[in-house]
Amino acid sequence: MMLHLLNRSPQFDGIYWDLSEAFGAEDHLLLIEDACYAALPAAAASLAAFGGRVSVLSEDAASRGLLDRLSDGVTVVDMAGFVALTATFPRSLSWF
Amino acid sequence: MTDDETAPAADTQPISLDLLVILRHPPHGSSWLREGVDVALVAAAFGQAVGLLFQGDGVFALVEGQGAGPLGQKGTHAQLAMLEMYDIERLWVSASALRARGLTLADLALPALALEADEIDHLVHAQPRTLLF
Amino acid sequence: MTTMARTITVEGLEIGLDPEGYLVSLADWTPAVAEALASEEGRELSAAHWEVLTLLRDFYQRYEAAPAMRPLVKVVRQALGEEKGSSIYLMRLFPESPAKVGARLAGLPKPTNCL
Repeated sequence: MMLHLLNRSPQFDGIYWDLSEAFGAEDHLLLIEDACYAALPAAAASLAAFGGRVSVLSEDAASRGLLDRLSDGVTVVDMAGFVALTATFPRSLSWF
Repeated sequence: MTDDETAPAADTQPISLDLLVILRHPPHGSSWLREGVDVALVAAAFGQAVGLLFQGDGVFALVEGQGAGPLGQKGTHAQLAMLEMYDIERLWVSASALRARGLTLADLALPALALEADEIDHLVHAQPRTLLF
Repeated sequence: MTTMARTITVEGLEIGLDPEGYLVSLADWTPAVAEALASEEGRELSAAHWEVLTLLRDFYQRYEAAPAMRPLVKVVRQALGEEKGSSIYLMRLFPESPAKVGARLAGLPKPTNCL
């Protein structure tokens, strides 16, 4: 079980692909910083490989004006939720 | 070069190394690749078991026939050739990254093992420590 | 990139050294420079030293970097056999730090992967 942290916009589709190769069946993906743009419905294809196990950091989405525009399939977590996720998953890996 | 002879048969039951370094950036252009390989070399110099996984444009790091830049800038090919002197012999490449770039293992300067997505998933999950460059 | 801290005169030429005693310009190296650097430190270079210095220079030629201790032992073992390919043997030849002292005398930059 691994928590993957991603901070790149979906325009960098290479990193989404590389991450998907390393993504395990019990893993979770947290979108932070510019990766929040992947949580827009128009970018759904970039998240297709992650089986709905995707969250977005609300603070980063809010600062980008995205909170009301997010895909239904992406759960929103705040900083406390982020901390809870890192406690749930024994290991994490940052993709940048 | 053959892939089976020198590469460990480790893909079905991934071995656990001390450190896996994932390299996603091509040579020249930026210092990502060099820094990632440096980290691997330092760890190996201290006796750690280190492996490298090349994904995305990182596979270009292994392409045969590289040289210095037009202004004499050092590439990373000599640095990568040095891996075996540091006993870093486990090199994996993403099979899909090779395919997407029209490359095969025969295009690579060093013996490596190509992994499909599920094998990469297993490899990464078997490591206690992974660093990404 | 490298700052000159002092110079040493070898065969009438001023050779620049960095603060740690490595050559500022690698092209300045000659066997006489190695002898001069060694005698400055009270070392005398024997044939046993020279065969290792030659391997170090070959290593740099090939890999564009000076080796840390581990690969140095490996390269010596491959070229000169098991008996010499040991850290004990190299420590005796180049006391303190074979990788660093050897690189300095061989006119290579400081090994980067060796703390």
